[in-house]
Amino acid sequence: CPARTVLRLATALPGPPGRAAGPGQDRHSDHGQGQGSARPQPLDPSLLRFLVCPLSKRPLRYEEATNELINEELGIAYPIIDGIPNMVPEAARTTQKKPPAEGSKQP
Amino acid sequence: MAAAGLCPCRALLSGRGGALRALCGAVRGLAAGPETHFGFQTVTEAERREKIYQVFESVAKKYDVMNDSMTLGIHRVWKDILVHKMNPSPGTLLLDVAGGTGDIAFRFINYVRSARERQLQRKLKNHQNLSWQEISESYQEDKFKLLGDSQVVVCDINKEMLKVGKQKAQHLGYSEGLSWVLGNAEELPFDDDKFDVYTIAFGIRNVTRIDLALEEAYRVLKPGGRFLCLEFSRVSNPLLSRLYDLYSFQVIPVLGEVIAGDWKSYQYLVESIRRFPPQEELKAMIEDAGFLKVDYQNLNSGIVAIHSGFKL
Repeated sequence: CPARTVLRLATALPGPPGRAAGPGQDRHSDHGQGQGSARPQPLDPSLLRFLVCPLSKRPLRYEEATNELINEELGIAYPIIDGIPNMVPEAARTTQKKPPAEGSKQP
Repeated sequence: MAAAGLCPCRALLSGRGGALRALCGAVRGLAAGPETHFGFQTVTEAERREKIYQVFESVAKKYDVMNDSMTLGIHRVWKDILVHKMNPSPGTLLLDVAGGTGDIAFRFINYVRSARERQLQRKLKNHQNLSWQEISESYQEDKFKLLGDSQVVVCDINKEMLKVGKQKAQHLGYSEGLSWVLGNAEELPFDDDKFDVYTIAFGIRNVTRIDLALEEAYRVLKPGGRFLCLEFSRVSNPLLSRLYDLYSFQVIPVLGEVIAGDWKSYQYLVESIRRFPPQEELKAMIEDAGFLKVDYQNLNSGIVAIHSGFKL
C-alpha cells in the first residue's frame, strides 16, 4: 500500500515540524528571500496523512532527493517550496519524457 | 475565448446605480459559462483567477493592517465569534481554506489549548488519589500534549499570503499542530472524509467556482463534519445599507491607496462584496453541495454572515 510506504518515509524525514519556532531563528529575516538555504525544507510529515494528488485524489509518494510529492500513475511531481507543498496542477512537472498531459509550467 | 468586455460600470463607480446593478445582474447570469465577474467588470474565468491572484499577491504584506483599518478592528471580533461557534474540542482536525495569513488557525490553536488546559485541570481535580504509576506518567511530556492531537491545515492558493502567514506563525510562536499547503479550494489536494471542520473566512467570495469549492468541502469532511463560512453579506436595513455603501466606496479604496498603495485592489474588494450572493442564496448553494442543517447567523446587521452546514 503506497500510503503506508509514504507514512514510513514520513517518520524518517529530517527536520522536526517544530523547527519553525527554534530559539536560534532570526525572526525578522525574510524567509526564503536571498537566505541562500542550500538544503530544501521538507514538508511537515503529519501532512502526508491527508495529502493526495488534487487531480486524481490518489496517494502521493514523497521523494526526498528532489523534495517533491510524486504521483506515479499520472507521472507528475509537485514541488515543496520553503516547506510548503505546492499542490496546484499548474505547478506540477511531469516526471516522464512523454509530452505533458497535465500542465507543466515551472513555478 | 470570449473577449473580456469592461462594463462601463467603472465610470459610474461612486456607489450608486440601480441601472448598474441591473447590468451586473445580467452579467451574473453568465457566471456559469466562461464569462464571469471581477468586481463590476466582466472577465473570463481564467482572467478572474489571474486578477484575484494578483490582488492578494499585492496586498499580502499589508493584509492584516488593512483589515484592522477598514473594519476598525471589528474583523477580529467576527473571527473570534466564528471560532467560538465552532467550539472545537481537543483532538479536532481543522482545514482552514483560503486561510492565508493564519487568523483562524491561530485562534483555533488558542481555543483548543485553553480547552485542553481546563480538561487537564478538571482531570487532576477529580483524581486526587493518583497511583505512583499515574504520577510518574504525568511527568512525561506526551501525556500532557498541549493541543491534545488537534491539528489545523491552512490551505491557500496564494504563495504570498501563505508566506506572510508562516512568518506570523514563527513570530507569534505557533508551530505545533499547524501546517501549510498551497492548494486550490476548487480542487483540494486532500483525501475524502478527513477533517472534522472546514472553515473559509473571507475567502469564498474570491473563489471563481463556488459550487466546486462547496463540493470539495463536502468531500474532505468526515461524516458528521461541519462546514463554516464567514463572509461579507447583504445588509437589509436601507439606512445602514446606504451608510455602508458610502463607507465602502468612498473610504475603503482611499485607505487602500494610503496604507497599501493600492487603490485598485481595494476597489475590487468592495465591488466583490456587492457581487457576492446574499445570505439565502448562499444557503441554497451550500445545500446543493449536500450539506444538511444549513443555517446562517448575521453579524452587524448582515455586513457579515456565518453560514454553517453539516455532512450527515
